[in-house]
Amino acid sequence: MGTSRNVERRTILKAAGATAATLGLAATTTACGGDSGTSADGTVTIRYAWWGGEPRTIAIKKTIALFEKKYPKIKIKPEFTDYEAFWEKFQTQASGGNPPDVFQNAVGFLRKYDKRGVLMDLKAQADAGNLNLENFRNGVLANGQVDGKQIGIPVGANTMALVIDQKAFKKAGVEAKFGWTWNDYFAALQTIQDKLKIAGDTGYFAIMYLYDLYLRQNGKAFFTDSALGFTEADLTQWWEDGYKRVKSGLVADPKKIEQAKPKSGLSAGLAASEFTWDNFSIRYQGEGDSDYGLAPIPTTDGKNTGQYLGSLMLSAFSGTKHPKEVAQFIDFMVHDPEVGKIMGYDRGILATTEQYDAFKPTDPNNKGVAAYEDEVAKAGVLGKITPHPSGADVVEAAFLRIGAEVAQGKTKPADAAKALFSEAKAAFAG
Amino acid sequence: MTLVKEAPVRPAKKRSAAPAAGRRGRRRENLAGYLFMSPWIAGFLLLTAGPMIASLYYAFTSYNLFTPPKWVGLDNFTTMFQDPRWQKSVEVTLKYVVVATPLKLLLALGVALLLAQKRRGQALYRAAFYMPSLIGASVSVGFVWRALFSDDAVVDRTQKVFGVDVGGWIGNPDYVLYSLVALSIWQFGAPMVIFLAGLKQVPQELYEAAEMDGAGPLRRFWNITLPMISPVLFFNVLLESIHAFQVFGSAYVVSDTRCGPADATLVYTCYLYQKGFKEAQMGFASAMAWTLVVAVALVTAVLFWSQKKWVHYEEAAK
Repeated sequence: MGTSRNVERRTILKAAGATAATLGLAATTTACGGDSGTSADGTVTIRYAWWGGEPRTIAIKKTIALFEKKYPKIKIKPEFTDYEAFWEKFQTQASGGNPPDVFQNAVGFLRKYDKRGVLMDLKAQADAGNLNLENFRNGVLANGQVDGKQIGIPVGANTMALVIDQKAFKKAGVEAKFGWTWNDYFAALQTIQDKLKIAGDTGYFAIMYLYDLYLRQNGKAFFTDSALGFTEADLTQWWEDGYKRVKSGLVADPKKIEQAKPKSGLSAGLAASEFTWDNFSIRYQGEGDSDYGLAPIPTTDGKNTGQYLGSLMLSAFSGTKHPKEVAQFIDFMVHDPEVGKIMGYDRGILATTEQYDAFKPTDPNNKGVAAYEDEVAKAGVLGKITPHPSGADVVEAAFLRIGAEVAQGKTKPADAAKALFSEAKAAFAG
Repeated sequence: MTLVKEAPVRPAKKRSAAPAAGRRGRRRENLAGYLFMSPWIAGFLLLTAGPMIASLYYAFTSYNLFTPPKWVGLDNFTTMFQDPRWQKSVEVTLKYVVVATPLKLLLALGVALLLAQKRRGQALYRAAFYMPSLIGASVSVGFVWRALFSDDAVVDRTQKVFGVDVGGWIGNPDYVLYSLVALSIWQFGAPMVIFLAGLKQVPQELYEAAEMDGAGPLRRFWNITLPMISPVLFFNVLLESIHAFQVFGSAYVVSDTRCGPADATLVYTCYLYQKGFKEAQMGFASAMAWTLVVAVALVTAVLFWSQKKWVHYEEAAK
């Protein structure tokens, strides 16, 4: 009897095993198959992923249609989400060996994914003639280079700016002029507060990229190749000053800023100015009901703003089955004049001369961004981008979070600085 | 081993009496049962048991998803216990559980008591009170909550009428957790229905007898209703506390995916999620997950142990 029962068990186990195997196989095929492959008629499909709002998605889809018309043998499968979701999804896809073939990228993620072998060195494709690395403006191509490899191709260039509520600045009688110092800036905030009874700034001290500029003005930088480029004392000072200005009302109440999200504090009318990337300024006009303009970054010595050109880029997956097509696609996206006309300055000032020359901005927002970058370039203050070690993205999120805790009065600046250093250490090690 | 153990359980008489054909028939029936269950069994093994075992292993490794996991022993646990953000997440979660669970159950019981009485439109009331639980888990409610409790929104304005001005709960680290508590309380439908079922089971004779003895409504509630529904109460306490320990969606949505401001809504699962999916520290996240499992098991054990003192089962009374 025992034997017969054993047999029975074995049969059941076999059946279960077979089912599990089938399900397992099915799962694997679904996960890996995706749609990136070659179909019977030789048509190649590649996946292209980006983050951004709706206007960007509409524009990019137009450029894809244009590409598919020119290259009928290549089909593009789009994937898009907002910024946060993008990187969460990407991380999971990449670790499973299934990231998109082409994707939007930024400097904070280059080393991280290079270290993990996800990014393709596009030099070989350039040598093979599938991708042109010429005609990039202001040396911005260097933004996509790490350790001699070209792992990102810039689509646009941007730089930090101060976005101001022009009506408020005018009413208070303050002027934001090139070469002004931090003292001038804080004095302007004081005047705005005195005359208009509103805060002047939305919370400058929690923005990592602004602190980077401040450090660069003082001969340091936020990152070195592998660590932080400043001391705990530096940061304690920066946050102590910031908290003082929240208390005195020069900087907007963080509780209100928090609740205005996803609207920015500036367009919600909670303050008169806000530091951000210049190409982001296009959002304010749609969100708020004042007039917004770009103003220069305050300086320490009246000259050096510490600014550099950052950029969004396109990167490719090192393990893609279609490196040639991927390179052709990137080439088209960064060089084709029509694409430049469609995209405008949504991802920064167009990076290649072909696209820059093709797009002539007509609306005041895009014009404003172009004029601002022209002015910055003419002033000759642009420096080279600082390195971003692997883990920079985690540090940026921590900086924003801990900075907000300081603003809320929940963490003392000295403790906050200590916390950031300890979190950064863990991030660089990961 | 198992075969030997199982053998005496089977009724011996039946087995010997059953003809071989019948036995085979039953066996075939069993086989069919297993076959029909096999999708579930496979799903359980592949999607639940497998990942759980994997995560138990990862809890003792350093694993960033890209490079193979590296065995680090108890490192994740020691780092975790010293991590101020982890401590904060424990603190926030405990606060949430301790405040939200009793309030929710209190409201559920109160409404159940009202709805247990016969009155017109009873079904309508029951449906209306149960409704929030049906839509409660959705992300959209989180957004609605954010809108309700923001600066100068409904709650804020209502408060101002009474002279209380906190400027919205969402941006205030001291208040925002209570907006999540409010959301949890609002979804009291499920325990309410269970309470209602429990209340229906209480024999009416007991009340009649008590009334004859001159017991008032409060006394009847305390001495009859409460002891009689204590098993149901126990069940609800158990279920709701376990549920509260695992709160995630509301915290994530109400605080704009950051579980803040100032980590004020950094509930345990939210930190776990951040560690795993934003910072790619899967080993640490797994260690956190298993710590939660153990903690919830302990709480459950304590509740089971305590039930001897306050839960009244009818068999025990006999």
